Amino acid sequence: MHRDHSVKGKWVKCDQMTSQERWEALVNRRPTDRVPCLQFMLGHTAVVNGRPIAKIYDDGAESLACQRNAMALYGHDGLIMHGWANAGGAEFGGEIEFPYRKYTGAPLMKKNPVQSEEDAWDLRVPDDILSVGTMPIALEFSRLQYEAGLTVTLQVGSPLTWAGSVYGEERLMIWMLKKPELVHHVLRVITDFIRRKADYWIDRFGAERLMAFDLGIETNKLYSPKQFETFGFPYLREIHDHLTERGTAIILSHICGEQNKNLPLWARLSYGKRGMVSVGKEVAISKAREMFPDCVIMGNVDPVTVQEGTPEQVRMLCRACIEEGKDHPGGFALMTGCEVPPQAPPVNVDQMVKACRELGRY
Amino acid sequence: MADEAEIFSQLKQAVMEGDEDVAVAAAQAAVAAGVDPQRAIIEGLAAGMAEMGRLYEREECYVPELLVSSEALYAGLGVLRPLVIASGKAEKKGVAVIGVVQGDIHDIGKNLVKMMLEVNGIEVHDLGRDVDMERFITATQETQADLLCLSALMTTTMIAIKDYMPAFKTQLPGVKIMVGGAPLNQQLADEWGADGYGENAVEAARVAVRLLETK
Ligand code: B12
Repeated sequence: MHRDHSVKGKWVKCDQMTSQERWEALVNRRPTDRVPCLQFMLGHTAVVNGRPIAKIYDDGAESLACQRNAMALYGHDGLIMHGWANAGGAEFGGEIEFPYRKYTGAPLMKKNPVQSEEDAWDLRVPDDILSVGTMPIALEFSRLQYEAGLTVTLQVGSPLTWAGSVYGEERLMIWMLKKPELVHHVLRVITDFIRRKADYWIDRFGAERLMAFDLGIETNKLYSPKQFETFGFPYLREIHDHLTERGTAIILSHICGEQNKNLPLWARLSYGKRGMVSVGKEVAISKAREMFPDCVIMGNVDPVTVQEGTPEQVRMLCRACIEEGKDHPGGFALMTGCEVPPQAPPVNVDQMVKACRELGRY
Repeated sequence: MADEAEIFSQLKQAVMEGDEDVAVAAAQAAVAAGVDPQRAIIEGLAAGMAEMGRLYEREECYVPELLVSSEALYAGLGVLRPLVIASGKAEKKGVAVIGVVQGDIHDIGKNLVKMMLEVNGIEVHDLGRDVDMERFITATQETQADLLCLSALMTTTMIAIKDYMPAFKTQLPGVKIMVGGAPLNQQLADEWGADGYGENAVEAARVAVRLLETK
């Protein structure tokens, strides 16, 4: 259990629950001692371990070790996961680069697998989905989670975001208007792939141990709500419904960026036995509460402030989030609005757990 | 002979509707009617794109529509631009190099900026995304650019701009530097010694034109 700490000379009492207990209570709709702190912390966990950021993505064992060490260091209550935004392309034969070079902070597509209309029509779900792209790494990561007795995680899209990785985002957007049937074909194939992936994970690790998550960049800075409704929502719904029917314990959606106009659709998705929704600073916690009365709301501390601001500024943002979210009937956890920036100063990241202890008691 | 205003309006409409074929046909009609191609670009094609930019800002259209419009714009330019150049009347406002900094593959915004610079008569050399300092420097030297435009979409990569700046100042004397991308702002741009900052593509073009005029 974590140590007491002092804020401006005043001591804050230590926690009454361990991180593990708090996580389980949150998932099982039981009270927690204080607001949990969940983090999308990937590259940053490598940095605090003195390891290359790429290890979080290209090495299951190291990734898990770095993430667990960082949790022990900061005392946050999750998340431990393997996944990234520009995902999907590698599984269909695209070229991926892991972030070893300076300034790189996450995997990126070097070459999208679909370069022409023919490529798009030819796209198929590979026979052996477990051997393609980054699947072996993802599987190894989940196997280690399972053996360690942790929640097993599984990235399931979103399909439209994956389509960007398969096509290249600009081609995808142009074809949405000019060749919508082609885009639907690719989304169909991607959705079939994700369903098969999900089935494998469920069969192997058990739905009751699983947290499926999607990262959706369907922001209204790019797409209209109508475009999301046509190209994003139907495939997301199919995957969420499938996961829910198969008894998946937790489904988490990270709704990235400005998506206020898309929220009514996100709110119509099914969310397994326990839904979790993480929002960026663009979506007010109060708005998320209203849209997702039964889901855990996670958010929405501005990542730029966590990297560039002072601990005091981070603390102020945390206070506002906690006040807005704390008594949400569906549950609330403090989190950054998107990934913790890999190079964020540790004192700023530390503020988030501290804020939960000091300001988030129940 | 078709009336000039009518042709301008057709060009504008073609861009706004993202119709490449109509844009080409209208551009050819402009040529056939003896309309000044420079004016056809500015009052027709570019006006359409500027209007799309305004609609985007008001959230009345989105990036897919902008991209499809830009295809129509480029199709029309393909007809008109060679004539402007051949006429020797090309008023080139200057040469720019643009790219997204190392480690960053967010290039949608950069491409919109590039297009708005082009419709404003600036010759643009696009280095793409994930561009390191050396490539920015050599490309700027090789093209004898007047303006270097850097885009960064993440806090992790915007630091590259700050890191590159001292080398740009010493190795690219006289070249104006303009920066942009969601995490940046005027204050950071000033702090890091950039000559200009633009919050969006329309603004970027305005700032670029001003920087080139005061060069
Ligand atoms: C689309 C997107 C992606 C796509 C990119 C596709 C592509 N080809 O560009 C994909 C899925 C690949 C992606 C990946 C990632 N992304 Co991303 N992504 C976005 C998203 C949703 C939209 C960006 C965008 O295109 N906006 C629309 C355009 C039109 O606007 P714009 O880029 O701001 O450009 C305008 C202005 O800024 C300006 N401008 C731009 N450049 C320039 C240059 C000059 C000179 C001037 C004057 C002006 C100017 O004019 C433009 C036009 O008006 C944003 C969230 C958001 N809402 O901003 C996150 C976001 C940028 N991504 C983010 C992150 C963290 C990532 C990943 C690291 C996630 C991960 N862990 O895997 C990876 C990194 C990949 C990499 N190495 O680059 C974060 C960055 C946070 C931070 N630390 O600052 C954001 C902000 C999401 C968030 N809420 O936190 N992403």
